[in-house]
Amino acid sequence: MSAEYSCLVVEDSPMMRQLLVFALSRVKNLRVTEADDGVDGLRKLAGGRFDIILTDINMPIMDGLKLVKRVRTDPVHKDTPVIVITTEGSVEDRKRALELGANAYITKPIQAPQVIAKVKELLKIAP
Amino acid sequence: MADKRGGKKKISVPPDMSAGLKMQRDTFVHTFFKKGAEFTEELLRENERLRKHAIELESDNARLRTQLASDEAIRELLRTVDQLEKEKQQLLSHVHEAEANSTRYSSRHQEMEEELSNLANLYIASYQLHSTLRLGTVVKHLRELLAQLVGARSHAYYVANPERTELVPIASDGVSLSQLSRVVVGAHSEPVARAAGIARIAERVFLTGVPHITERGRDEASTARDEPAACVPMRMDDVVIGVIVVFSLLEQKQHFVQVDYEFFKMLGAHAATALVGALLFANAEGKLPSLEALHNLGT
Repeated sequence: MSAEYSCLVVEDSPMMRQLLVFALSRVKNLRVTEADDGVDGLRKLAGGRFDIILTDINMPIMDGLKLVKRVRTDPVHKDTPVIVITTEGSVEDRKRALELGANAYITKPIQAPQVIAKVKELLKIAP
Repeated sequence: MADKRGGKKKISVPPDMSAGLKMQRDTFVHTFFKKGAEFTEELLRENERLRKHAIELESDNARLRTQLASDEAIRELLRTVDQLEKEKQQLLSHVHEAEANSTRYSSRHQEMEEELSNLANLYIASYQLHSTLRLGTVVKHLRELLAQLVGARSHAYYVANPERTELVPIASDGVSLSQLSRVVVGAHSEPVARAAGIARIAERVFLTGVPHITERGRDEASTARDEPAACVPMRMDDVVIGVIVVFSLLEQKQHFVQVDYEFFKMLGAHAATALVGALLFANAEGKLPSLEALHNLGT
């Protein structure tokens, strides 16, 4: 059965990326593509269409906030939901990410059920 | 009247008397017939009244029969209502049971998902930890594990010297390595109260092999300046070779959860081997054992 949704995970830490991919594997019909950092994320975005993007904030080369800005100006993905994942938990960081166009914000340490619920909510998949 | 010979005795009545008797007879006959007529009329009226009464009674009877039939129908309906009410109660009971089952299954499913997620976290952490022999990468993975999976803001790794008289900080995150002092095992020589408290706990964990994990909330823990959030022994072949000290937690991490204790257990068992393996590999200048050496290991 082919995937109904596609998701891009942008995370520089292999461990976190693996955890996110595992969590997202629990969502039915979701194909996950991985990217090492913001630049790699942009490259992957240019090569396909994604229904949802999960990105870390603190990454080398291009951080998650810059990626969100770029996504919002991309004609193909400007309306694609973006979930920002970071270790920062302050209200200011949350505000900054949301102001730049992120749809949701998850703080580390992440819980797989929390990630799954947020992705389903944004993709409008029944829980 | 009869005479003595048995014949009728003729009574002679004077003519004026005869007229009177005739009149009396006529009057009597008239009265008799009149009363008879009146009585007949009375009988007819009574008959009419009784007939009407009979009709009324028949009507009442019919009404009562209808009412009786209606009452029976109502009783039947009430019986049906009772039956339906019982069925409704049974159905409601089944619905409640089904709802309870559904909630139980849903809750169980959620628990299993969380358990699965925790196991995946442990597996991935362990996999990453042993995926490399490069010291820098091992330390990076340990940092990521503590920061991103446990939610530690600052932490450090202390390894015992060969004489086991000191615990030497070899890596840290969120706190500069230069700010960390060695922990003397067997004597608390640190002048700073915070260091002294942490040193005392690190020393105790190193000597006893029993982890120290605070169960207090983040705010309470942060006020206890001389107590780390956690201190876990690093073991190799049942020998404690050092400790991991978590000084503070991230803002959003209020307290440790069940899986954190599992992480600490896993770290206690795996961090030391990963670190020592990486150190040995570094000392060997990144050279892998020769095939001959590997062959000899098997014999």
